[in-house]
Parts: sequence; C-alpha cells; structure tokens
Amino acid sequence: MKDDYLWDGSGEPDPEIQKLETRLAKFRHQGEAPEFSRISAARQPRFWQRLVSSHWSFRLAAATAAVLFIAAFGILRWSQKPGTTSEPGWDVESVAGTPKVESSAFGKHAGATKLGIGQTLVTDSHSKANISIADIGTVNVEANTRLRLVAGGNGHNRLALDRGTIHAYIWALPGEFTVDTPSAIAVDLGCSYTLEVDDSGAGLLRTKLGWVGFKLDGREAFIPAGAVCATRPKVGPGTPYFDDASASFRAALSKFDFGASTPEERSAELRKILAESRQRDALTVWHLLARVDESERGSVYDRLATLVPPPSGVSRDGILGLDQKMLDLWWNQLGLGDASLWRTWERSWSQAKS
Amino acid sequence: MPTGMIPGVGIFQAGSTVDSHLRIRDCRAVTTAPAPEPAGDSSLVLAAREGDRAAFGGLYARYARMVHGILLARVPASDVDDLVQDVFLRALPRLRDLRDVARFGPWIAAITRNRANDYYRQTRAVAAVTESLPEVEAELPASDTAPDAEAAAILAFVRSLPETYRETLILRLVEGMTGPEIAVRTGLTPGSVRVNLHRGMQQLREKLHQASIGSGLEADSSSRRNSAAQGKNLLRRGNQP
Repeated sequence: MKDDYLWDGSGEPDPEIQKLETRLAKFRHQGEAPEFSRISAARQPRFWQRLVSSHWSFRLAAATAAVLFIAAFGILRWSQKPGTTSEPGWDVESVAGTPKVESSAFGKHAGATKLGIGQTLVTDSHSKANISIADIGTVNVEANTRLRLVAGGNGHNRLALDRGTIHAYIWALPGEFTVDTPSAIAVDLGCSYTLEVDDSGAGLLRTKLGWVGFKLDGREAFIPAGAVCATRPKVGPGTPYFDDASASFRAALSKFDFGASTPEERSAELRKILAESRQRDALTVWHLLARVDESERGSVYDRLATLVPPPSGVSRDGILGLDQKMLDLWWNQLGLGDASLWRTWERSWSQAKS
Repeated sequence: MPTGMIPGVGIFQAGSTVDSHLRIRDCRAVTTAPAPEPAGDSSLVLAAREGDRAAFGGLYARYARMVHGILLARVPASDVDDLVQDVFLRALPRLRDLRDVARFGPWIAAITRNRANDYYRQTRAVAAVTESLPEVEAELPASDTAPDAEAAAILAFVRSLPETYRETLILRLVEGMTGPEIAVRTGLTPGSVRVNLHRGMQQLREKLHQASIGSGLEADSSSRRNSAAQGKNLLRRGNQP
C-alpha cells in the first residue's frame, strides 16, 4: 500500500515524498543537547529530612514544636478571615485610573499589588488593570470589569468574571487556566482570547490564537482561532462560528441558540443556517449535531457530510446516536485541531476539580 | 532501550535512539486508543525531577525533534533552534508540576505550542504564520542555491496548511519521525496521526501542483518569485539533487 511509506516508511517508497524529505532535510533539528546548567546537581533535601538529619536537643525540638503549633493556629485563623489569602496572590498593576482590589484602590504609580484568592478586582469606567501570573500568562482587564480570583497554583488557576471584559494571553499548559462566567466556563487550551460578560450574565468569547473550550453542564463548544461563541445564563454556550460568516448566517444562529421560542421557529432558523453554511462553517454545523432534536439531526448530518465527508469509522447511525468517538473522529477531519487533546485536558481538569 | 533505524526510512540522525515498540505496525487502523507511553519516559522524568542531568538530557534527546518540528510549523525557521532550548529550559523547573509523568510528551508539546504563541505575542505579530504564505515566503533566501530555495518554498507550502496537518507533516517530512513515533511522542491517537498525514499530504500535493501551473503566490521580488517557482515545480521534475 503506497500510503505505508508516508505512515512509517515501509512498503514501496513514494518518489514524491522522498523528494520532499530530501529537500526539507535542511530544516531538520541538528542541535546538540545544551548544558542544562540550571538543573540542580542534587535535589534539595525535603524539610522533614533536614529536621531529622540535624542534631538538635529535645528542648529545642519541644520549643520548635510549640512555635510551629502557634504558627499553624495563627495561619488557620488568618486564612478563615474573608477577603484574605492563604496562598501567594497574583500581581496586579494599574494600567489606567485607580482599580480596586477589595476596597483598596491603587494607581499607576503604586506598583504591583496582590490579588489574593477570594479577593475581587474591580475597574470603573476610567480604570484598567493588568494581572501577571508567573508561568501562566497575563490577563488584561478592561474598564467596568469585576472579577475574582477563585484558585491559584498547583495547575489550577481560576478566575470568575462577573462582568466586563478581559483579554487573556496564556502560555500555561492547556486546561490549567479557567474562567467562570455566569453562563459558562472558559477552559484555556493554549491560546489568547477575549471574554466579555454583560450585566445580564451573557457572554461572548473570541479566540485569537489556539483553542478555547467553553462548557456548562455537559454542553460544550470548541472555539478555534478566528471563531466566536456567545453564551447565555441558564442556556450555556451557544454554537461557535467564524467571525467572517455572513450576517444572515450569524443572525439565524443567534436566533437558533437563544431567540427562537417555538420548535417551529428553531427549525426554520436551522434550515437557514444549513443553507447558508460554507465549508469553513463546518465548525458550526459539527456543533449543531449535538444541539438539534433527533428528528433534525439527519439534515445536519447530510449538510456536514457535504462540507466535510465523514472519515472511515464514522457512520450515519453512529452520528445520529451521538457516538462520542465518531463525533471526535469527524471533528478531527475539520482540520481545526485534534479532539483527543481536548478530551485529555478535559479529563484531567474534571478530575482535578472534583 | 534498543537502538536502531526505522526500516525503510533511514533518515534518523546518527546516534538517535528509537524505542523498540515504535516498530509496531499494528496500529494502522483508525482508532481512538491513546498512543502508549514511550518506554522509560516516566523513570526519566522522575530522575530529572530529582536533579539528574543525564535523565533530562535523555528527555531532550527523545523529544528535541518533536519540539523542533512543532516550532518550525509556527515560527520563522531562523528562531527555532533558540526556542527549542528555551522550551526545555522552561519545562525543567516545572517538571514537578507534571501530574502524570507518563504524559511528558503531550505536556512538553503543549508547552511548545504555547511558547510559539508567546513568541508572536511578544513580537506583536499574532496572526502572522497562520495561513500566511507571503510571510513564510519572506524566509526564502534571496540569493541562495536552487535546492535551498526549493526547500524554503516547500516549507512555505507546508506551513500554509491547517495547523493540525502542518505540524504532523513537518514531524514526518522534516524531522523524519514515523507516524507511530509521532503518535507516541505527541500523545495523539495513531488514527488521528494517520488521518493528518494522509489529508495533509493530499492538500500539500494539491497546493504544489496548483502552484506549478501558475496560481498562488504573490511575491514582492522577482528573485523570490523565481525561488518559489522552483519550489512549486519540484513535484513536476525528476528526482534530481
């Protein structure tokens, strides 16, 4: 089989692929392993090992234990106070005006202040702020925004955006940075994105680079670069779409997701969406598979099959039955990323949450 | 860990090591089963966490090509080598944060992709590489030899493919990794890798053939146009050096 050569180099060599390999070999990795001088030659002994190995008297041990007990008690009491933090906070700087962390206002020249876990950052109509999170990324906070730091550290970094707009530039591992909104949870999958929430709790997420997952109670949306997804309280994420879709396509989608009051209206909007969908809109049509009634799923299948033929291993019956593996296989055909990555990080994230 | 060459490929660098199970040929069917952990990754990660330089060097030897390929799919070739080292130096102090030591490959692949994103954030050219053939074409050497110009032009075409396809194709065609190895290293399913290779290659062939009949690039300089044209015509010509 000719494809075997592309797969693993076996079988009859494909002359075209051989030519490409030969030409492209000049770009191949040639570098030798650097000296990783920053790695410590020996692991630092853990705290308890240092204690055990040191020579100290019983009296010193008793005194130390007493100090530790008092310190632990104090920390416990302190951490139970509202609005304080038991872990290092994130650095926040004013970009304009005087944002507030809790009730403390800070200006541009005040330097960085800390946003602790459980604390709230508020910007008014004249102020903006920037949050820096070591090894995670940065979050630019626009005016008229209110957010809270829910969790930080240990791979679980979580903000709650009550209202306003943030621009997140995240270089942490996928799944390690999430933002709760009143109507959905945004899960970073290695990306930069803008998230807006209005006073009603409705949100809009726009991915600039990479991927974002948007989810609520099992309803999920994959939002690749260039795509947008709205969300509404009590409904969750709508259907993502590319922002270059036609105005009528977007209007029909908005009505389908949030505006249609009767099944008939929803069906009418669905017909418009399918009729106007371009190949690039396979992103939207794929999501619709799980969002339409069973009676309408066949028409969505047919449209998606026209835009992007289903790969082997995907059957009509399987898709109509919302077989997750088949849905993921078909998603992979769209050329927008690999669903297994999302599944991996989603699992990890869900386990960590519980 | 046995060493050797993948039969039929013969394009691994001298001295590179290949895990024995990468020779398997029974994962060709499209499957969603995750690729197995490369043998010994866990022990290398655990040792590296404890400060073992050789163990981290071992991880570098195993994954440098993958990291290089992922970066090459996203950032200018001239910056890739520096970024490879940067990725490993960033990963090193964070090894303790890796919850599942068997998932080192997907973990460092994610760090790599994010580092590439960060590169564009820092250089204020966020959307530059994605589907931006003219920019990639800017890497064409103005007065280089014909094979070098062809290579740059072909790389430009690969990088104009959708992200998933271009990354997998670069790992296969540039870094010389096989499909099973790509699956094992990146944590993608063998089925996904196979699909990406097949469809990516199909699109690349189409692009190269289309370009060879005159459509496509709009280069600024005539030298670049000529260089690109040489690349476009590659598939029409004989297999000359």
